[in-house]
Amino acid sequence: MTSSTREKEPGLVEQVDHLVRQARLAAAVFTQYSQEQVDNIVKAMALAAIDASPRLAMVACEETRMGVLEDKVLKNLVASEFLYKQIRDKRTVGVIKEFPEDNMMEIAEPIGVILALAPVTNPTSTVIFKSLCAAKTRNSIIFSPHLMAANSSNMAASILYEAALAAGAPKGFITWVEKSARLRRETELMMVHPEVDLIFATGGTQMVKAAYSSGKPALGVGPGNTPVYIHKSASVLSAVMDIIISKTFDNGTECPSEQTLIIDSEVYDEAMAEFQRLGCYLCSADEVNKVADVAIDPKTGSMNYRLVGQSAAAVAEEAGLSVEPATKILLCPLEGDLRYHKLAKEKLMPVMGIVKVDSIEEGINRALDVNYCGGTGHTSGIFATDDKAIERFATNINAGRIIVNCPTSLGGFGGFYNNLDTTFSFGCGTGGGNITTDNVGIKNLINYKRVPRRRNFTLTFQTTKNIYINPGSIEHLRSVKTKSAVVVTSRSAASRGHLSLVLERLPADCNVDVFSQIGVEPDWETIKEGIATMRHSKPDTIIALGGGSVMDAAKIMRLFYDWPDLDLKDISANFLDFRHRLNVFPKDVKTQLVAIPTTSGTGSEVTPFAVYKDNTTKHKVSLVDESLLPAVAILDANLTRSLPPRITADTAVDALTHALEALVSILSTDYTDGLALEAIRLIFEALPAAVADGGNVLWRHKLHNAACLAGMAIGNASVGVNHALAHSLGAAFDVPHGRANGVFLLTTIAYNAGIPTKFIPHSTYPLFVADKKYARAAQFLDLVEDESAGLAHKSVPGLVLALRRAVYDLLRQVDQPLSIEELGIGQDEFHSRLPALVESAYNDMSMRTNPRLPILVEVGELFLHSYQTRQRP
Amino acid sequence: MKHTETVKIKVALLRGVDEVDRLLAAGSGNLELDFTEVNFISVEGLEWLEELQLRAQSQGATVTFINLQPEQYKVFKVAHIDSLLKACGAPMRSGPSC
Repeated sequence: MTSSTREKEPGLVEQVDHLVRQARLAAAVFTQYSQEQVDNIVKAMALAAIDASPRLAMVACEETRMGVLEDKVLKNLVASEFLYKQIRDKRTVGVIKEFPEDNMMEIAEPIGVILALAPVTNPTSTVIFKSLCAAKTRNSIIFSPHLMAANSSNMAASILYEAALAAGAPKGFITWVEKSARLRRETELMMVHPEVDLIFATGGTQMVKAAYSSGKPALGVGPGNTPVYIHKSASVLSAVMDIIISKTFDNGTECPSEQTLIIDSEVYDEAMAEFQRLGCYLCSADEVNKVADVAIDPKTGSMNYRLVGQSAAAVAEEAGLSVEPATKILLCPLEGDLRYHKLAKEKLMPVMGIVKVDSIEEGINRALDVNYCGGTGHTSGIFATDDKAIERFATNINAGRIIVNCPTSLGGFGGFYNNLDTTFSFGCGTGGGNITTDNVGIKNLINYKRVPRRRNFTLTFQTTKNIYINPGSIEHLRSVKTKSAVVVTSRSAASRGHLSLVLERLPADCNVDVFSQIGVEPDWETIKEGIATMRHSKPDTIIALGGGSVMDAAKIMRLFYDWPDLDLKDISANFLDFRHRLNVFPKDVKTQLVAIPTTSGTGSEVTPFAVYKDNTTKHKVSLVDESLLPAVAILDANLTRSLPPRITADTAVDALTHALEALVSILSTDYTDGLALEAIRLIFEALPAAVADGGNVLWRHKLHNAACLAGMAIGNASVGVNHALAHSLGAAFDVPHGRANGVFLLTTIAYNAGIPTKFIPHSTYPLFVADKKYARAAQFLDLVEDESAGLAHKSVPGLVLALRRAVYDLLRQVDQPLSIEELGIGQDEFHSRLPALVESAYNDMSMRTNPRLPILVEVGELFLHSYQTRQRP
Repeated sequence: MKHTETVKIKVALLRGVDEVDRLLAAGSGNLELDFTEVNFISVEGLEWLEELQLRAQSQGATVTFINLQPEQYKVFKVAHIDSLLKACGAPMRSGPSC
């Protein structure tokens, strides 16, 4: 407020300040009220309003000379009795709603000070409605009445305030602007007053516009122009009576009331005859023009406000028509293009346009013409028994309320003919320039404070159901129930004698086909060939015999064999969180998958993962879903005895990386920790011996089990940054996966054991414990830290260092490279490809479960730190 | 340095407290109102507290508030009365503070 305003309008600003200050103090005090106190106040107010309804209606009719006394009484009762019944048991204080499934609650915070505008058409009922809503929500309310209805509006406000005060409401929580020539100016000042929190505007378009222009939050209403469609399936006689009730209600002052009727030709004559029988007057074409000339103001092109709420006879007289005094409605058939007809607009008086149509399409289109002639977002109506017609109409019409088989005026109020919220303020959405299409009420006068508690997502543990684990367990194949099987394998399976071991043990009456085209990295073309083989053989069982590539390929083949219509795009999208991924996998599988690993590394026989190479992008694509899990895994270590030492070490280092990464993963659990720790221990124990004496089945057995345990761990906890780096390096320089993992291990253990630059946000990972987990692994291995490192005995850093040294010693012992340089990759080539390596690793899904959130620059540093030939840490 | 007297305000502050008015009128020193037990402040109570500040100011004394429960401290916050917030130790601001 500027000093110039004070000077020009002495006393005005002070008056406004006084009103707003009263309201502000009351709003502050109201915050302390309990639900019980509020409900007692609201009840007292409702009773007072019910009691005063006839008196208030009478005063309103006298002051405004508008509408019908009996209907105004009814409106006052709707605003008090009906509204009270609806809001009586609603919680509006403290915790108002709980969402146990979402672990969340809502708490109500009052809006504060509301400036409420009241219209001339409903001067008392609107005040009753808004006062009750304000009290129920612990808000203060200042009424700014329409100048032509200020006495009646303020009388209503006064009656309700006194009742509220007697029931314990805060002093000054209802105030009002007195009737005076300065009323409009005071309202304008309040609209921009800093202590007003919300403008609740119900009134003429200009006032609503001013409210929206104030810069404050505003609940406004838009203009209406209600089209009502009488479909041929309607109960015509009932529809006619409802429409007469509605359009004559308070002489048509209600903005949701019927403005133009669209009637199917099949029922047109019946409807018109009934309208006339019940006292409506059907105008001739000439008379329609006369009515249009008076109902619509030629200067504005809008309804003539002088005739708002006047009787049909009064409008007819103004138009020069001679009708019975008791005439209910002037029915005006609208000829020609409806979009150009003067009367196809809102007219809050008992004048109604009539349009005859020959189909539902034409009916809805003409309704749209009316709807879009100044009434979008407000109200429409349909009379029909055909549900499809109702739905089609409602889908196309742009209205916040589409009233079915009810009078639209009383139906729009809500609570009278239907279960809409009772209101005297009809939100019109963006169609009417409003923020909501609600029947505005108490729910719009609350600030909702959402209190979401941390969600602890359900963690699960899943793996292959039947696992046969001892040497010689390949014999289990003899008891597999199958009549038709396809063995998916690699070309080397036959030469190593594995294929014949399988074929000899399948039932004699089983029809067997072999698909042995799987290479080092299966691509989609190869997988499609395998699926074609299956479609030809129609197997009930698929046997995957080989290393990780074979088992992954077989998993994908089984999925697409079972579900031929599956689209790869629907299941292969990258994702941040498994629970929110867009991928949709089938719920079940039909064909039995038996996995027989011939290496001890990948653990694919027990994981829900499968990887294939996309030949177009040259990237590896990961599929993740429990539907990929095999039904049976046969871990017969005899099948690994012929593995050369190099491959034995490569694959075992992959398994070791699985175990170490699963151990510190953000998805790790007590279940995966146990598996990971034992897998690490077994690898440390068995790998050197298995490399030195590959034919010793005991060490092979231990290593086989270790890989499987580590597979179960990553199958549930996933991997981390080490795998991301290895995937990137392996793809760029064609390095076997396990070997690529090994060159990063010392770097990533140190990295993950350090305080993260960025913590990874995840609801089920509430505490950074990666360093302690590594220390636990060291203790599990009975490692003792070297005192020369200067670290305290059994300190976490000391144990992490001991673990890194043990990993170094193990990999050196089995002749595994420990750095990128040791892979034979030249420094220049490495550096030239470093940006691409970093990008690829950074985008790898494995990063998502790492205990540290690797930032881009750190990914580059991890590569660089892993380059030089290693010395013992 | 002026003597400061502490007065414990009773459960509901519905109107002015005579004892406080008397002490201030006696001009014996500064006042400290202890709100530990207060669980409700009415509009009349708020108006009295504001007026109390004005009277104290004119006498060169201070009236401070201590141990406000959050529910009543919030009443001061929502009321936007600068002098009451200052009595709770907030810095003085021009216009509504929150």
